[in-house]
Amino acid sequence: MLVALFTILILSGGGGSGILDFIANTENDVKVVMEKDDRRIEALGTLKAMKQRVSVNNKALKQTSKDLDKALSTGADIDVIWKAYFAQRDAYNREILDLRFQLRDQLTRDEWQQVFGGE
Amino acid sequence: MVKWPSSWNLVLLCTMIAIMVAACAGKDAVTPVDVEAQAFEDLRSEIRNVVADSSREAEAIRLVDVLQKDIERLRNSIAARTSRLRELNADYDTPRADFEDFLASIESEVRENRQHVTEAHQALLAVTTSEERSQIDKYRTKAINAAIKSIQSI
Repeated sequence: MLVALFTILILSGGGGSGILDFIANTENDVKVVMEKDDRRIEALGTLKAMKQRVSVNNKALKQTSKDLDKALSTGADIDVIWKAYFAQRDAYNREILDLRFQLRDQLTRDEWQQVFGGE
Repeated sequence: MVKWPSSWNLVLLCTMIAIMVAACAGKDAVTPVDVEAQAFEDLRSEIRNVVADSSREAEAIRLVDVLQKDIERLRNSIAARTSRLRELNADYDTPRADFEDFLASIESEVRENRQHVTEAHQALLAVTTSEERSQIDKYRTKAINAAIKSIQSI
């Protein structure tokens, strides 16, 4: 488990399973920056959807680690697992990017700068 | 039950002292990268203790060096990727195509590197006997865990 997890972690980009995950963790900043209105409800809904997508991806990542570990220990062909993993990454990146632009459209330029400008 | 060699006590004691001294230094607090470096050094020490054959010992140490350099290179690459992505995201006007191009370049890099990353580790396992592996396994696991934590801290 450790080697497979290690391999995926160092390849995938660090702490999270995807490198866009950090956007989903800006709920508190959005609450501070935006007025309590319908726009804020929509923006928080988008962040919630992002978190749910990240969670689904993390579960899939753990399963991939298990599958890789099993294949490595038995000498089985790991290419099939990697192929599925990359397809999963492609879908994840696409969907998170959709949600990122959805969030961008829900915030004004100034609000966006306040939430992400210090990055 | 694996007997705990007395030399391990010395390694463990030195590690603990190093960590405690650094922790007490305040501004020189131990970072995940420091912990990783120490874990790899402990792994080398254990290989020197356990692997009797000098040529296999030298090869195993060389492979640990390769593995550690690979991790350092990848950590730097991940840090650069993260920084660039945060720059792209911070700009309200970044076109979607810029994100897609950047993510595509990362995916390409990942696909090229995936085989190389496991090679040194697999070779390290192959150059040691099963008995030697069982003795160094604790240190190997610690080194990998430390590498995971240092990468997660980016």
